[in-house]
Amino acid sequence: MKILRRSVLGLFASVAVGAATIGTGFAQSMPAPLDNPGDVKIALVRYLSTGDFFQAYLSGVEKQAEAIGLDLRIFDSRQDAALQADMVDQAIALGVDGIIIQHGLTESMQEAAQRAVDAGIKVVAFDVNVENDAIPQIEQSDYLLGKLALEQAIKDNGTEWNAGYVYVPGIAPLDRRHVAWEEVKAANPGIVERAQMGTLDNPIANSNANQARSVLQANQDITVFFAPYDEFAKGVKIAVDEAGLTSDVSIYSADVSTADISAMREPDSAWKATVATNPAVVGEVSVRALAIMLTGENPGAQVVVPPTLITQAFLNENDIKNMSDLSANMPQFAHADVAMTEWMPLPAR
Amino acid sequence: MSTDVQDSGITAQPKASAKKGQSSGLDLAIRYGFLALLVGLAIFFSIFANGFAGPRSAVFIFQSVAMTGILALGVTCTLVVGGFDLSIGSVATSAMMLAAYVMVVMEQPAAVAVVACLFMGAFIGLVNGILIVRFKVPDLLATLGMMFLLVGLQRIPTAGRSISTGMVLPDGTTANGTFDPLFLAMGRHRFDFFLEKLLPIPVVFLIVIAILIWIFLETTRHGRLMYAIGSNERAAALTGTNVKRYKVTAYMISGVLASIAGMLLAARLGRGDIASGTNLLLDAVAASLIGFAVLGAAKPNAFGTAMGALFVGILLQGLTMMNAPYYTQDFIKGAVLVIALVFTFSLSARKTAGH
Repeated sequence: MKILRRSVLGLFASVAVGAATIGTGFAQSMPAPLDNPGDVKIALVRYLSTGDFFQAYLSGVEKQAEAIGLDLRIFDSRQDAALQADMVDQAIALGVDGIIIQHGLTESMQEAAQRAVDAGIKVVAFDVNVENDAIPQIEQSDYLLGKLALEQAIKDNGTEWNAGYVYVPGIAPLDRRHVAWEEVKAANPGIVERAQMGTLDNPIANSNANQARSVLQANQDITVFFAPYDEFAKGVKIAVDEAGLTSDVSIYSADVSTADISAMREPDSAWKATVATNPAVVGEVSVRALAIMLTGENPGAQVVVPPTLITQAFLNENDIKNMSDLSANMPQFAHADVAMTEWMPLPAR
Repeated sequence: MSTDVQDSGITAQPKASAKKGQSSGLDLAIRYGFLALLVGLAIFFSIFANGFAGPRSAVFIFQSVAMTGILALGVTCTLVVGGFDLSIGSVATSAMMLAAYVMVVMEQPAAVAVVACLFMGAFIGLVNGILIVRFKVPDLLATLGMMFLLVGLQRIPTAGRSISTGMVLPDGTTANGTFDPLFLAMGRHRFDFFLEKLLPIPVVFLIVIAILIWIFLETTRHGRLMYAIGSNERAAALTGTNVKRYKVTAYMISGVLASIAGMLLAARLGRGDIASGTNLLLDAVAASLIGFAVLGAAKPNAFGTAMGALFVGILLQGLTMMNAPYYTQDFIKGAVLVIALVFTFSLSARKTAGH
C-alpha cells in the first residue's frame, strides 16, 4: 500500500511535498555540500531512453535526487554516441557538480568522462565502462540475471533439454548475460542449443516473434527458450502462442515490466520466470552513489545492484498485477541496500 | 501522317529483327527475372531449410510481412502520384498506441478503437496532403516533419511509457481497461483454410488490401489519373485533372493503411508499445522499391509491392530457419534492394533505348 502511494503521488505531488518536507527535513543532518538543498546541480546524460526500463530508471533518478534535494538536469542523446559526448561537455559548461552517465559507448564516452573528472566534477557511470578509476561503475549484475534465470530453468526442466536462445552480440548487458549461458551449456552437456536468433529491429517484440516462429518451425524439439531480455521474451511468447505450443515450451527471461507481468500471468503462459533488477532502484542507487562522492566519500569502484528471481507461480500466488504490487510483495525488489549511508534520505514510499 | 509511320516502320524493320533474339531474352529477364528468383528462392529453402516447405510456413511468412506489406501498399499510392510518405512507420506506431490508449486507459470497446485509429490515419494523411499541395512543402520534408511529430506525440499521453493493463498513469492512477478480445482477434484469430486454424486475419487483410489497391490503381479511372499525375503533373493538370485532390487522397490512403497496420501490430502484441516505427518504414519502402522491378514495370505498382514484401519475407524467414545470424539479414535485404533497383533502372532503360 505504501508503495502504491509512492507511485500515486508520482512526479507531481511528491515534487512539492518531497522537496519541502523530506528534502529540508534531512538537510540538517546531511554532510556538505548537500546541506543546502537546491545548491548542488547534477546532470544525467543518457544514451538510451526509449522503453519501460529507461523510463523507470529515470523516475528512480528523479525521486532520489529530489529526496536529497539535488537540482537534476537531464540530457538525452537518444542513441547518438557523439551527441552524448557533447552533452557531457554541455554539462561541464553548465557548471554541474556531478554527472551520471547512463549507458553509451566506451570509445565515445571515455574522453568526455575524463574531461569531466579533470574539471573537478564527480562522475558515476551506469552500464557503460568508461575505463576510468575515478569513476565508479553502477551495475545491475547482468551475469547474475542470466545465471538465476538459467538455474530456475534447470530446476523446472532438469538438465536435458533442447534450447532456443535469443542473443544479439555487441550489446554490453546481453554480452554479460551470454557468459552465464555459455557456462551453463558447458556445465550441462545435456542442454543443447538448437538455434540462436535475435534482432533489435523496432518494434523488437514483433521482429523477434517473426524469427522465433521460424525457429520453432525448423526445430520442433525445442522445449526451453532462453530469452534474456524481456522484449525478446515477449516476441518468443507471441511465436509460441501462434504456433500452438503454449504448453510445450517454457520461456526464461530477464527484466520485468507491468506488461511482462500480465504476459507471464496469462493462463498457461509459456513464460515461466524472469530475473530482474528494479530499474527505478538502479536509478536511485546511481544518484546515491553520486551523492556519496559529492560528500568526498568513496562508494567503491563497483556498485552492484542485486537481481531478484520472479516466477510465474509467485506472481499468481500473490495476485501481482503490476510493478507496484511487485515492489509491495518483494521488499528486496523495492529497495536495494547498496550505496547507503546513515544520513542518506530515501524517496517517500 | 499514316504513310510516315509506315515508312519508319519499314526502315526500322531489319534492325529490329536482327536484335530480336537478344532483346527478347532481355525482355524476359526484365519481366520475369524477379519472379523466377522468388520461386528459385522458395525451392532452395524448401530443400535446405528444415521445416520450410508446407502450408504453415507459407502462412507465417505471409504473417511476418503482413504489416510491412500493408504499409508498403500505402507508400506505393504516394509514389504513384510522384510523392513519398516517410510518416507511415510512425503513423502505424501512433495507431498502435492510440488503440491501446482507447481500450486500456479510456476503457472503450474495440469498435471505438478501430474508428479512432482509422480517423487518425485519415486525418494525418489529410494534414500531410494539405502541407504538400497547399503550403507547397516538398513531400519528403512534410512527411519527415510529420514523422518526428508523431514519434513525440504518441509518447505524450503516457509520459513515454508503453501501455498495458495495470500500468500506472502519469497522474498516479492505475489503468484497468483491457484489450477487447474482438480487437485482439484482429491480430490473432485464424480461419480454418484447408488446415484447421491456418490463416491468420492479418494475412487476409494484406491480401484483400493488396487486391483492392491493385484494382484501384490499375483498372479505375482514378488510378490511371494518379499515374498520370506521377509522370507529368503539369500535363495532368492541363487536361483538367484535379491534381491537388488526388494527391491529398493518395496521402490519406497511405495514412489509413498505416493505421490499419498499426492496429494489427497492437492486436498481435496485445499492448501499446513505444516504438519509432523506423524499421517498419524502411522495410515498407524497400518492398515498394523492389516492386518496381517485378514484371519489368519500372514504376510503383501494387502487385510488385506485394511480391517485394513477400520476397523479403521468404528470404528472412528462410535464413532464420537456417540459423543465419541477424546481421546477415540486413545485408541480404540491402543486396536484394540493390539488385532490384538495377533490374528497374539499368535494364529497363536499356530496353527502352533498344526500341
